[in-house]
Amino acid sequence: MSADNQEKSHEKMDIDSNNPAQDEEVAVEEEEEDDQDVEKIKILPGASEDGTAASFQIIEEDHTLGNALKSMIMKNPEVEFCGYSIPHPSEPKLHLRIQTYGNITAVEALHKGLDDLASLCTVVEEKFSQSVASNNYKTVIS
Amino acid sequence: MTKPENIVGIEYNRVTNVSAHDIPGYKLGEDYAWSLEKFEESFQINIQHLTEKEANFDLVNIDTSVANAFRRIMIAEVPSVAPETIFIFNNTSVISDEVLSHRIGLIPLKVDPDLLTWVDSNVEEDEGKFTDENTIVMSLNVSCTRNPDAPKDSQDPNELYRNSNVYSKDLKFEPQGRQLEMFKGNPVEPVFPNILLAKLRPGQEISLTAHCVLGTGSDHAKFSPVATASYRLMPVIQILKDVEGEDAKKFQKCFTPGVIGIDDDGKAFVKDARKDTVSREVLRHDEFKGKVKLGRDRSQFIFNVESVSAMSPEEIFFKSVRILKNKAEYLRNCPIGQV
Amino acid sequence: MTSREGFVPAINSSAAAGGFSNHKTYGVKYICASCAATFTLGKSESIRCKECGHRVIYKARTKRMVQFEAR
Repeated sequence: MSADNQEKSHEKMDIDSNNPAQDEEVAVEEEEEDDQDVEKIKILPGASEDGTAASFQIIEEDHTLGNALKSMIMKNPEVEFCGYSIPHPSEPKLHLRIQTYGNITAVEALHKGLDDLASLCTVVEEKFSQSVASNNYKTVIS
Repeated sequence: MTKPENIVGIEYNRVTNVSAHDIPGYKLGEDYAWSLEKFEESFQINIQHLTEKEANFDLVNIDTSVANAFRRIMIAEVPSVAPETIFIFNNTSVISDEVLSHRIGLIPLKVDPDLLTWVDSNVEEDEGKFTDENTIVMSLNVSCTRNPDAPKDSQDPNELYRNSNVYSKDLKFEPQGRQLEMFKGNPVEPVFPNILLAKLRPGQEISLTAHCVLGTGSDHAKFSPVATASYRLMPVIQILKDVEGEDAKKFQKCFTPGVIGIDDDGKAFVKDARKDTVSREVLRHDEFKGKVKLGRDRSQFIFNVESVSAMSPEEIFFKSVRILKNKAEYLRNCPIGQV
Repeated sequence: MTSREGFVPAINSSAAAGGFSNHKTYGVKYICASCAATFTLGKSESIRCKECGHRVIYKARTKRMVQFEAR
């Protein structure tokens, strides 16, 4: 299990991708999938037949992603209900429940929420670099 | 500027209108559905000041949960470099080994985290766990001796002894392999040179080597790149009825200096609500009852980021936005299995 | 928190390379409590300071390198 976690944490820390050990790691790991993380997100039992209502279990995430993702999914007019919980603070698990009005599946709503969150981050990055470059702020604390 | 539905009301014994209701379906006729164009239009970042160590900027019209996510990531998930393993060869000071190791671990280092790779925890130490790509080696060798030139009858240990105080500037960088080239000209040193680590007396000696690696604040606080990153909501002060004369002076005193100004007619007006600390002092006085309304604007976050690492505060914020984006994209591309 | 097994000589290469004079010499074993003089004692020598004769002595710190996690 610790080997799994190690691979995950390597894949997660993608900010600087100069990690030559990572490729070797993947070959050494006895994972059936090549470089896909099959543990990260799973559907919990009890989803509706047509997929419009489902609960997801995401590991190694907490309120940082949970709350932000929940608010992005709630902004989708097709979503009837969205909520997240952390079943126990000692375990790094996040449960996310999505119920839609029937026109889209819960997985589609989740994917749209994730895409929207990523594009929100892109806009924030752009606006911040514009602000920093524009230079109309003080550089000394008066 | 501030929509009334975005103002959290602050009364003397309660708060009102706390939750944001900008979700589709809450109010008939309002369109709160997510639209990237609308967000791009309304979202603003206004930088108040930006120095090497501190940044103060506003995020306007962004959701609370996202602003909080940025704050949490800045504190816990932006990687930085700190001493992790200490090899002590000799320590005859009064500070015990583990206490000294703990103190050294907390020293912030001026090394760009992008230059190092992560240490692979599966590799054993003798199999080459610490390489020149993932570890910075610092050494500390201090020995205290008596100062023969000390003036007579002096009581000051700085005069009586040499090296009686061990500071963080005594940590010396030992470049390994590639690091000789990489760090030529700007050797690794602590961010603050005058952190007192230990006090020595003649005959006492400290001799140790520290291995510094990448880590995140979620693992140990020493890896957190910020002294702290916090935000507050923009205070809103509404003067409903005029406050004049002596009352205006008393009114001004109820707020932080600079918040309330008095114009030529002797009337009080709101000069700069940003400086206010929202102490609610004015709500304690009966003469101002009904004349003023306090609140906070839920859509405007005033961030304050204090950097305690090699990265500047705007770099730390950038990284936190990128980390949140990577989290979302990574999760997007993961296959969904069954429990 | 873990110490290396076996005898490891007092190799502090960084100290040596820095031209630092190592106050320890081989075989330093005991320190007097009152005059802080360092000396060695062989087997079946009486427990007394070589210089001042005081009978309370401390053993010097080990030469072995000790490793700690900075946490």
